[in-house]
Amino acid sequence: MTDAKFLLFFFCAAIALAGAIGTIASKLPLRAAMSLLVTIIALAGLYLTLDAQLLAAIQVLVYAGAVVVLFVFVIMLIGPAPETSSAPGSVVWRMLSLVGIAMITATFAFSFVDVASTWVAPPAGFGTVRGVAGEMYTKALVPFEIVAMTLTTAIVGALAIARSKTASELAEMKRRRVAEDASAAAQPAE
Amino acid sequence: MDLFTQILLAIAKILFVVIVAVGAFAPVLLWAERRQSAMMQDRVGPHRAHIPLPRSVVEGLRLTLKPLEAGIFGSFFAAGLAIVALVILLLSSRETLFGQEAKTYYLAVVGFGILGVLARVGHKVHGGIVESGGKIALLGLLHPLADAIKMIFKEDFVPPKADKLLFSIAPILTMVTAIAAFAVVPFADTLFLECATDVVPRDVATVMACDGSGGVATAIPMQIASLDIGILFIFAIAGTGVVGAAIGGYSSDNKYSLMGGLRAASQMVSYEVALGLTIVPCFMIYDSLRLEEIVMWQHEAGIWGIFIPPLTIACVLYLFAAIAETKRVPFDLPEGESELVGGYLTEYSGMKFGMFFAGEFVEVVVLGALATVLFFGGWDVPFLYRSGFDLPGTWELVIPMTDWVIQDTIALQHWAVIVIQVIAFLLKIAILMWLQLMIRWTLPRFRYDQIMKVCWKGLLPLSIANILLTGIIVLLWT
Repeated sequence: MTDAKFLLFFFCAAIALAGAIGTIASKLPLRAAMSLLVTIIALAGLYLTLDAQLLAAIQVLVYAGAVVVLFVFVIMLIGPAPETSSAPGSVVWRMLSLVGIAMITATFAFSFVDVASTWVAPPAGFGTVRGVAGEMYTKALVPFEIVAMTLTTAIVGALAIARSKTASELAEMKRRRVAEDASAAAQPAE
Repeated sequence: MDLFTQILLAIAKILFVVIVAVGAFAPVLLWAERRQSAMMQDRVGPHRAHIPLPRSVVEGLRLTLKPLEAGIFGSFFAAGLAIVALVILLLSSRETLFGQEAKTYYLAVVGFGILGVLARVGHKVHGGIVESGGKIALLGLLHPLADAIKMIFKEDFVPPKADKLLFSIAPILTMVTAIAAFAVVPFADTLFLECATDVVPRDVATVMACDGSGGVATAIPMQIASLDIGILFIFAIAGTGVVGAAIGGYSSDNKYSLMGGLRAASQMVSYEVALGLTIVPCFMIYDSLRLEEIVMWQHEAGIWGIFIPPLTIACVLYLFAAIAETKRVPFDLPEGESELVGGYLTEYSGMKFGMFFAGEFVEVVVLGALATVLFFGGWDVPFLYRSGFDLPGTWELVIPMTDWVIQDTIALQHWAVIVIQVIAFLLKIAILMWLQLMIRWTLPRFRYDQIMKVCWKGLLPLSIANILLTGIIVLLWT
């Protein structure tokens, strides 16, 4: 890893961490979403240090351009949440979560200390549009197609659940209800 | 090339783009829009901003009006006499007239003609200034400048209950993302630094340095960043710009703003999908995402994208989606004043409003530049190559009675070629912007459900069908 990339790594990592802290610390939902946006863009910068240009673009395109916009959209539709101060948990839970954080940190730290890997220069064309497309459409075509089918199925399923009734279905329901009312009205007459 | 030169060049290129996009195109577009709307709605339009001249200067200008009139008459009379002399020379088989060759008379016609036209223009400008009592209005071009000064010095009002941080970030996000998209747009062919004042050979893979050192010439790509992801960069950046309008509307603490922000976000997200899909056929045919390679393909093939059948459809769809993406009439529902006061802009004033405004205009320029690159050959000028003009065929035209010859090939120095290409590129953007302007002042506003319907049920299926069609054509062709 060259010096410039090293600097870029620390720069992006610092921004990503700041954004992440902002996301969980902010009380206003929209500010949290903006902090998330900062984290996501900083993560794209981290991908750049790993020579993954296409992945960085996709990261910004999908997460910043679609996911965060979706969050913002939902927040705007629902309206600002009332500012509730979260009830303080019991001391035991607080201690447990602190221990958990310490353990995770220790695990990561030791795994980095143990691994003495050297930086391997990526092969030519690594992370470019052509490189990624070549891998995806020659070596991983079947999984790619399966993922595509799964996503399409998910979209159709979501539509089936979320859509409102069509005009013909509403007419059908109304007709059935009228018929039921008529039979219900006819019964006591017998 | 050392690091210092590279940084210097990058700064120069960024300055060029910012000055052209923000400093020149956006104000001119604003001016043209007001001018056009005034013309169509029979109003006066921008004309009040002016530089006043002292009375003595105005009196001086008034005195020069008569001499200028005489000058116009004299120049055109002299040009006429020269034409008569040329006709006499042509009809009689003489070499000279009054001891002068035909060449002199040609020069006289051109020279006195230009002089006369200049004097005529000068007379008109002079007359205009004198008539208005010494106000230099420059056709109203000073108006955007006056607007900028006004916006900077206006009170910057923030609603008391607004989220001040987000309220301030929103216009910055909108403007910065609009300008940043320019980073990958190429505005001319590669510049070879050592060969600036030489004629560069036309079809050579590596251009040698022209200073006789025997090395390879320093190639400077005429774009700020040459990224492998190319056009995806523009879409990634533009996608972030959506957030600007959305949080601007949300943080204003105003229901109209909120509605406007919601409309802006949903409209931009919808049309971004359509916009992305309309230009996929371009990538299939040009076989690249890099904008400089896309232009080079069109330059080398000698045909602009719009003349390749599937791309003609793509171009129409793209322009449709692009106008909707910039949220301008007839798609300006997010700020539709008849329903939402000013939409997400309602609470903005001063330079914050100015930044939203500038961002919108820069976005128009960016999408125009993108259309130019994808469909209109970018910086490509027909028959202009690296070495100069090369018109089809082999011929030469001798001007009668002289030894002046016009040939089918005109060699140009490298810097001239680059300058012509930059001018052509800017001219193409200007024409596309003018087209948008005409659409803007011709069509009435759509209804909101119509906008969404035309995007999801019209544009999207059409662009996907166009991708399929292009796929079939590419398969059959190769």
